Amino acid sequence: MAPSVHYHCPCLSNSTTPPPPHLPSSSYSFHPLHTLFFCEECDAVRCNRCVSVEVSTYYCPNCLFEVPSASVRAEKNRFYLFVHKMPCNVLTRRRCARNCFMCPNCRNTLSVVPSDPPESGDGRLAVPISTVGEPPFFLYCNHCRWDSAEVGITFEKPTGLAAQLQKFEDSAPDSLEFERLKDHFEPFIRASSLSSSTTSHAVAHPSSAAHSHHLHSNSITAAASAALARDIPGVGKYNPLARSTSSRGIGVSGRDRSVNKDEMAEYRSRVEIAKASVVGTGGGDADVEFMRHLENVSEVASLDQRWENSWVTSLQTSDLKPLRIPLHSKRSKRCPACTHILIKPEQKAQSVRYKIKLVAANYLPAITVALPHAQKALTEAAKRTLGKSTSAVEDDKTPATGMVAGKTYPFHLALTNPLYDPIQVRLSPQRLNISTAPSKDGPPEKARRPPFVISLPTSTFPIAAFAEAWEYDDDEDMFGVEEGDDFGIRGGAREKDGRSTRSKTVGVLEKRANVTIVGGEVVIGKEAQGNVKFNTLVSYTYRSDDPAPSESNDGDGPSIPQGNKPPEVKTFAFYTVIDLGPIIPREDSKSVPDV
Amino acid sequence: MPPIRDKFTIHSKAVVCQDVELKGDITIGSGTIVHPKATIFAIAGPIVIGMGCIIEEGAIIVNRRKEVMRIGDDNLFEIGCRVECPSVGNFNTISTRARVHHTVRISSFCVIGAGCLLVPTEDEVLEDYTVIYGPAAEKRVWSGRGKVQEADLRRKHAEYLKEMLPKFNRLRRGEGT
Repeated sequence: MAPSVHYHCPCLSNSTTPPPPHLPSSSYSFHPLHTLFFCEECDAVRCNRCVSVEVSTYYCPNCLFEVPSASVRAEKNRFYLFVHKMPCNVLTRRRCARNCFMCPNCRNTLSVVPSDPPESGDGRLAVPISTVGEPPFFLYCNHCRWDSAEVGITFEKPTGLAAQLQKFEDSAPDSLEFERLKDHFEPFIRASSLSSSTTSHAVAHPSSAAHSHHLHSNSITAAASAALARDIPGVGKYNPLARSTSSRGIGVSGRDRSVNKDEMAEYRSRVEIAKASVVGTGGGDADVEFMRHLENVSEVASLDQRWENSWVTSLQTSDLKPLRIPLHSKRSKRCPACTHILIKPEQKAQSVRYKIKLVAANYLPAITVALPHAQKALTEAAKRTLGKSTSAVEDDKTPATGMVAGKTYPFHLALTNPLYDPIQVRLSPQRLNISTAPSKDGPPEKARRPPFVISLPTSTFPIAAFAEAWEYDDDEDMFGVEEGDDFGIRGGAREKDGRSTRSKTVGVLEKRANVTIVGGEVVIGKEAQGNVKFNTLVSYTYRSDDPAPSESNDGDGPSIPQGNKPPEVKTFAFYTVIDLGPIIPREDSKSVPDV
Repeated sequence: MPPIRDKFTIHSKAVVCQDVELKGDITIGSGTIVHPKATIFAIAGPIVIGMGCIIEEGAIIVNRRKEVMRIGDDNLFEIGCRVECPSVGNFNTISTRARVHHTVRISSFCVIGAGCLLVPTEDEVLEDYTVIYGPAAEKRVWSGRGKVQEADLRRKHAEYLKEMLPKFNRLRRGEGT
């Protein structure tokens, strides 16, 4: 695995220091930079776990038709919401109601094609000059050549397929059952909507504790979660345990009769599942009989072909029906603390742009890590395979690219500045994991010595500002002189040393454009195991535009210069975890334990 | 192994671009289109290509056996595919970057999906209307509905290329003409 750098989002705990990196749970606090957001108001990193999400549009991924959310929240979906008390079902149930269908065999998009003209019967294919669409039409998969005529679905005209298929779908057992459920619950929904206007929203409901994270979220989310948590007459309180242990899938009623005093007739399903032993209804004996007379494996629909269905369906491939394409959604995300929008896509389904995009990559320096010895080994290996393929086959690659216990390796951190101003960066590796962490869970002999020691330059070093021009020419010499004048003085003697003596591994190694490469070193203990993984606090100072943060409404990033006042300097710090990869235990340390 | 003797027999109505690599004893039938950068290698035995086939750029057709490799009519070899089958029937489609080993014989109306790798260790015959698709090279049988329209499309495709390719490419002629 390649070495990686992940960024910390402190949303999972109250402290700003991240958990020790060797704990498996720590991976939930660290994210790749490209998944993170940055809230300008709170001056904080936000991750996908802590932002609040709203759907801005629903659209069909095939026809790119934007489905109005009013019709997404149509009757059926609202009812699902009610039964499951989970809004995610709105997404999973919504399908494109136009002419988009998926192949049940391979999930490709189906197209409507006319039938072939009748063959002339002289053996040779009669090729017509012009093909006018001849009915019946059917759905056809260009990928696996499945067609709906195989399962007996044909159409008289090539338009309005959804309506033509609707009657098949309406007579399916799952939608019949659903209609029945709906009829059953309808009076209670009406009753609950009446009662909700008088009773206040249940705030002290236990499930609101789970939503405590979104306490500051906007009113829409709050209203939605309150609506979900509200008690509904006739239906017991939502209890995930009771639901999962309940023997019926949707049998919400009749379970906790003791809890609610409201009278509600027990729901009886349309078909007794025990008696429904006919082929196609998930019955036992009929399916066993079918399997017993099986001649070809392809007669049985595979699990993933039947997976989409909410109801037990037939095992046979010949019963697969064309599937509606599920809608996709575009979502906008808000900061959990100040409810400002962090990212908002453009409304149109065709557009891939964003109206608002506050991603962390535009604010925090991007860090990539490289192991020079591994890269060297890889390029040499590539050269060898290019030149003579037979030569160095026997030489084992892992010692060259991996890190062996008991040795010292240099590593490079390349920091890229996304800001339009130069920044000063300071790296401080967290001591915590070295001093306390191994004593907690490691074996006793590991507690004495840390598995590895990291050395990084501790002084601040500059990174030049980002300029678009540097995107285009990658000429290193162009900026060589300028660099020395501009930053050499500030970087001080340490940096000059790094230039004169190439053998130095710790310190600033290279500066070009808006990238600075910093060298570090890891000393791995003899008995070390696991990954070389350590937390590092990265703090950087940048010139701030807005002198007073209170009137910062017009400030659009730190790029706008302010008058001739001396620029105010701000500091931002964030944690990262740097994973250099696994340590290869030494074989000789096992054979000769006391060296 | 004796040196490969080149002998190209190209029908006067075939369109074979100059920039193709041909080696060995090759016969190309009437109306067949060979795009530039295609490769046809008759290493061990001759290759006979029928009428109305389309062989696109980067396609590689190899005969590793002593026997004649016969390719029927109206087959489509898409970009970057590699076919070593000892026999190919009519109206087959070998999709982009598909690879078919010399142990497979293809009948007619078969489709080898894009990127499919077909390398059985035992000799195998793909029956008519076999469809190979997906990353795991799954196999199913096509009902054959729509084949007349597809054949019509194939003819039109070939006709268009026959008209357009000579405008932008030099053509290769067989020894006979």
